[in-house]
Amino acid sequence: MTIPRSSVASTISPAASMLDIRRVVKTFKNAAGEFTVLKGVDLQVARGEFVSIVGKSGSGKSTLLNMMTGIDRPTSGQVIVNGQDLYTALDESQRSRWRGKNLGIVFQFFQLLPMLSLLENVMLPMDYAGLYDFDERPRRAMQLLEMVGLKEQSAKLPMAVSTGQQQLAAIARALACDPPLIVADEPTGNLDSRTADVVIQIFERLVAEGKTIIMVTHNPSLTARTTRNIIISDGEIVNETVARALPLLNHRQMLQVTKKVQRQSVPPGQAILRRDEHVDTFFIIERGEVEIVLQGKNRQDVTVARLSPGEYFGEVELIRGGKALAVVRAAPEAPVDLLTLPREEFLTLLEASPLTREAIGRIVQNRIEQNRSIDRRGKGWWPFR
Amino acid sequence: MRPRWRKVLLDLFENPTRTLLVVFSIAVGVFSIGVIAGAYVIIANDMSASYAANRPANIELRMDDFDRDFLPVIENAPEIGDVEPRRVFNIRARAANSQAWTTLDIVAIEDFDKNALNLLTPMQGQSKPARREIVIEREVLKEIDIQVGEDLVFQLPDGSEKTLRVVGIVQDPTTGADDFLAPPFAYITMDTLPTLRQPDLFNRIYATVQGNGNDAEYIRRVAADLKDRVEKNGVTVRRTRSALTNQHPLASTVNAILGILLALGVLIVFLSSSLIANTLAALLNQHLRHIGVMKLVGGRDKQVFAMYLVMILSFGLLALALAVPFGGIGAYALAEFIASQLSFNLLGYRIVPLAFVIQIVVGIFVPLVAGFGPVISGSRVSVLSAISGDLASETGSKPQPGAKRETLFERFENAVNAALLRRGIHLPRPLLISLRNTFRRKRRLALTLFTLTMGGAIFVGVFNVRTTLFAYMDNVGRYFVADVTLDFSRPYRLSEIEQVARQVPGVQYVEGWAFASAEILYPDGTVAENLVVLAPPAGSRLVDAEPVSGRWVQAGDTKAIAITEGILRSFPNLKPGDYLDVKVRGQQDRWQVVGLFKFIDREGLIAYGTYEYFSRETNLANRSVSFRVVTDRHDEAYQREMSEKLDKHFRDAGYQISQARPGLSALNNATESLDILVIFLLIMALLTAVVGAMGLTGTMGMNVLERTREIGIMRAIGAVDAEIMRMVIVEGMVIGLISWVLGLFLSIPITYGLSLIVSLAVFETPIEVVFTPLGYLIWLGLVILLSVLASVLPARNAARLTIREVLAYE
Repeated sequence: MTIPRSSVASTISPAASMLDIRRVVKTFKNAAGEFTVLKGVDLQVARGEFVSIVGKSGSGKSTLLNMMTGIDRPTSGQVIVNGQDLYTALDESQRSRWRGKNLGIVFQFFQLLPMLSLLENVMLPMDYAGLYDFDERPRRAMQLLEMVGLKEQSAKLPMAVSTGQQQLAAIARALACDPPLIVADEPTGNLDSRTADVVIQIFERLVAEGKTIIMVTHNPSLTARTTRNIIISDGEIVNETVARALPLLNHRQMLQVTKKVQRQSVPPGQAILRRDEHVDTFFIIERGEVEIVLQGKNRQDVTVARLSPGEYFGEVELIRGGKALAVVRAAPEAPVDLLTLPREEFLTLLEASPLTREAIGRIVQNRIEQNRSIDRRGKGWWPFR
Repeated sequence: MRPRWRKVLLDLFENPTRTLLVVFSIAVGVFSIGVIAGAYVIIANDMSASYAANRPANIELRMDDFDRDFLPVIENAPEIGDVEPRRVFNIRARAANSQAWTTLDIVAIEDFDKNALNLLTPMQGQSKPARREIVIEREVLKEIDIQVGEDLVFQLPDGSEKTLRVVGIVQDPTTGADDFLAPPFAYITMDTLPTLRQPDLFNRIYATVQGNGNDAEYIRRVAADLKDRVEKNGVTVRRTRSALTNQHPLASTVNAILGILLALGVLIVFLSSSLIANTLAALLNQHLRHIGVMKLVGGRDKQVFAMYLVMILSFGLLALALAVPFGGIGAYALAEFIASQLSFNLLGYRIVPLAFVIQIVVGIFVPLVAGFGPVISGSRVSVLSAISGDLASETGSKPQPGAKRETLFERFENAVNAALLRRGIHLPRPLLISLRNTFRRKRRLALTLFTLTMGGAIFVGVFNVRTTLFAYMDNVGRYFVADVTLDFSRPYRLSEIEQVARQVPGVQYVEGWAFASAEILYPDGTVAENLVVLAPPAGSRLVDAEPVSGRWVQAGDTKAIAITEGILRSFPNLKPGDYLDVKVRGQQDRWQVVGLFKFIDREGLIAYGTYEYFSRETNLANRSVSFRVVTDRHDEAYQREMSEKLDKHFRDAGYQISQARPGLSALNNATESLDILVIFLLIMALLTAVVGAMGLTGTMGMNVLERTREIGIMRAIGAVDAEIMRMVIVEGMVIGLISWVLGLFLSIPITYGLSLIVSLAVFETPIEVVFTPLGYLIWLGLVILLSVLASVLPARNAARLTIREVLAYE
C-alpha cells in the first residue's frame, strides 16, 4: 500500500535539511517574572528521518514542537522548515496557510472537528489549502482513510468511532495535503498498545516512502523504533552521543554532561592515548572509530578492537587509577570526533548516578576479566590495569 | 474576605468581555422597561396636568356673530363658570417673502390680560399682541417659514392684501387639541379685526362649568342647557363641543399607544431574560471545572449555589448602575418626543419612582429567575463530570469512552449529507462547519432564534400595520376623489362655476356639493354627536363608496344618510334602516341611516346624503358654496398648481373664493399624524431587533469562546484568518436567515394584533389588515446586516486566537 502522492507539488525549496532550528530562545513572561523555556536550541533534522523527541513534562518539548510547527514564535533565533523561514517572513495567518500545505500535525487528543464526519475532517485541510480539484478531494480523502483502515467508518462522526480510530483518522487528515513533514505530539499517548503499534507501523511506512516524521513520545518502546532520538531537558537538547553512551543517566545528568564535555578532533591514524600514559579523561566517541592497539611480541602493532560512535574508553583507568596499557588511536580511514569529560566530573557523575556506576562497573569488571584471561595467554589486549 | 467570595469578585473581572455581555443582556431589558415605564408615567401625568394647567374650556360653542351686549346671557347661565368670547375665522396667509398661501385660523381675543381660559404659553417674543400685530402658534412654523419681527401677508375676501407684524410665538395646548388636522392658529386683538375686514363681533364662546369639570355627563348637560338658552335669545349655535378639564382629548389615543409600548417593553424584558439565561448557562458551563475543584475540596451544593447566586446579583447590580440612569434619560426623551408631537408640555425632568422600582425589580429578579435553572444544574454537577467534563458538550457530562451513538439530529444531518452526495452535491467543508455549528447548541439556538424572530416579526408587523393604516387612509381618500376643492364665501350657481372653472386648462369635471350640519340627539333630547352631512349629486363619480353594512345613498333618497361607524360610539346597536333624531338649523327632524362606512371622524361625525335633497333643504338648489374639480392629472404637485390657478382665476373674475385646496393635502395631513404613530412603533421594533441582535452577538461570542480549541485545530491544519472569520459570520447569517423564515410566520399574528390595537386607538374601529412585502424585504436586509455585525466581533476574536493559546490546555 502506498500513500496517494500529490499531483500538486508542495513548495519544496532546495534545502539541505527538513528542519533547521538555530539558537532558538523562548522566554515566557507572566506575573511571576520571566521564564526561559528554550535556552538556545539548535536542531537539524534531515529529510526522511524518523525522529523521536523525549523529555520530562516541563522540559520544553511541547514548546519546541510549537516552534517547528509555527504555532508559537521564538523570542530569538530562527526556525527554517522545508526551506521556509517561519517567523521572519510569515504572519500568523500566512503561517496557517503554509502549515496546511507543508506540515501535517497529529495531536495526542486527535483533535478532529466534532461536527464533521471522518471523511469531511480529512477533506478540510484540502479545502483550506485549496489543493486538488473540488471533486478530487473526496476521492483522495477516501483513499487516505482506506490506507489507515477506516473506509467503512468514513461517514461517521468522530465521537461515533473509537479513540484509536479517531487517531488513525487524524493521521489521514495530517496526510491530506501530502506534506513532506509530519509532526506528532504523543500520537499514541491515549491509545492502547495494539492501536499504538498500528500507528507506529503507519509512521514507519511513511518514512520508508520518504516522509520526515518528528514525534514527541514518552514511550521507550517507540523511541527504539525511530531512527533518531532527541532528548530535551530543561530547555536544552542533550547531546545525542552522550545520551547513547550513558543511557542510564537521568535527563538532567545527561544535560550536565552535555555541557561539561569538550570536543576533540583527532586526524586519521593519530594516537589518542599512548601506552603507560597517565589517563585523567573520559572519552566518548561522537564520530568516526578508534582502534585499540597492542604491541605484539615482535613489537608489531596488533589492533585488538575497534570502538564506534556512542562507545567510550578511559573509564577503567579513571575508576581504578593507573596508566594506559594499550595505544588508542583514530582509525586510519577518517578523523575522529571525541567528547571528553575530566576525571573529577566523571567521578562526580558516577556518584550521582548509582545505575550508571553499576553499569560502568560491570563493564569495567568484564573488560578486566577479559584482559586477564587474555593476559594469561599472553595475549591480553586491554590497555589498562 | 473569604476565599470563595473573593473568587466571585475575581470571576467578575476574570473575563471582562463575558461580564460585559451578561451585564448588557440584563441592562438592555432594564433600560427598555425603564424608558417605557418612565415615559408612560410622565406622559400619563403631564399630558393631563399640562393640559389642565392651561385651563381648558369645558364648553365651546360655535355661534353666529354676537356682540358684547349678548355676553350676560351666557355669563349668567346656570352652572357656568368662567366665560371668554372670541372671534375665530380662517384666512389665507403667507410670509412676506413667499408666494405660498396657507390657511390659518385667526383667533381674536378681547383682552389678553384677562385671558383666563385656553391659556397661551409664551415661547418666543411677546405673547400679547398690540393693535395690528399678530402672535402665532408654533404649529404655524411648520407651514410658513417666518420669524418674530417679520411680516405675515393676509389675503382678504376681495383679493386685497394686508400685512401684520409677527411679534411672538406661543403654544396653545388646549384650543383644537382634539383635532390635529385643524389649521394652525394665530392670535390678534379685537381692534385688529377691522384691518382684516372682519366685524368687531364674536362668534365663539369658551366656558368652564362651576361643578365637576371631569364629569362628561354633567358638562354635556350644562352645554345643552347653555345652547338652548343662547338660541332662545336669538343666536344660532352651529356646533357645541365639550371637554374634560383634566383629560387631554387625545389621552385615550395616547394611552393606547403607550399600552402598546408597555406590551413591547414587557416583551423586551422577556427577550432579554432569555438572553440572560443563555449567557449564564454558558458561563456556568465554562465554570464547571471550578465547580468541580470547589467540590473536590469540600464545597457543598448550597455553597456553590450561593456563590453563583451572588455572582448573578452582582451582574444585576452592575446592569442597574448602567441602565437606570440611561433609562431615566431615555424615558424623558421619549416623553418629550411624544409631547412635542401632540403639542403639550412636560412638567420638567424627573426620576419616576415607579419606573425606578420596576427597573430594580427587573434588574434583580429577572436574572435570578433566568439564572436559577443553570445555577441549580451547575451546582449539582458531580465532581467527576465537572473536572473531566467535555466543556463543549451540551450537558457538561463526561464523554463516554469508546464509540457513542449518534443522536437523531446527527443521523438526520448525515442522511441529508448522504442524500446530497448521492446527487453529486458536495458542500465545501468550511460551509458545512458553519451549518452544523449552528445546530450544535440547540437550546441556545432556540433562545437566540426566539429573540431574533420576535424582533423581526414585530419589525415586519409594524410595516404591515403601517401599510394597513395607509391602505385605510387611501380608502378614506375614496370619499375625496376630487383633485381640487373650491370653497366660496357665498353660494354660486352650479352651471356658472362649472363654466368659469372649465376656462382653466386641465379642468375636466366640476361638481357642486351641498352641506348640512346637524346635531344627533339622544332620545332625551341632549346632543350626542355633531354631524356634517356632505351631499354630492346622487351617483357622483367623486365618491367611490364602500359601505361596511347597508347601502350607499342613491338617487331619490330623502332624509337618508350613510354615516360613519363612529356613530356606534353613541348608538352601539344602530343598524342600517334605523332612524336618528337630529336637529338641523334649530329644527328637530328624523333621518334614516341607510348604510355605515369607515371613515376618520374629525370634529364630529360625517355622513353622506344626496345633493338633490340637501340642497333643497338648505335652500341652495342648483347652487353651492363648495365645488369639487377633477383635473387631467392627479399627483399632489399638479393638484397644488391647479388649486393656485383656479384660485387666481376665480378671484380675478370677481368671485368670493375663500379657499382652493389640493385634494390630496387633507389626506396627507392625516397620514402625517399616522406617521408619528408608525415611528413610535418602528422605534420599538428596532429596539427589539437590537435586543435580538445582541442576543445573537452573545450567542456567537459564547460559541466562539467554547470553540476556541476547534478554531486552533483549524488553524493548525491551515485555516487563514479570513477562513475563520467567514466560518463565524456564516453561522451568524444562517441563524439570522432561519429567524427571518420563522419571522415570516410569527409576523402574521403580530400584524393582526398590532393592527387591532392601533386601529381601535386611532379609528375606534377594527380595520382590514393589509400585508406588504416591504417589511419582509427590509427585515431580510436588516437581519443579514445585524447578524453579520453581531458576528464580526466574535469572529475577529476568533481569528485573533493564536493556536498556542488555544491548544495550551493539552
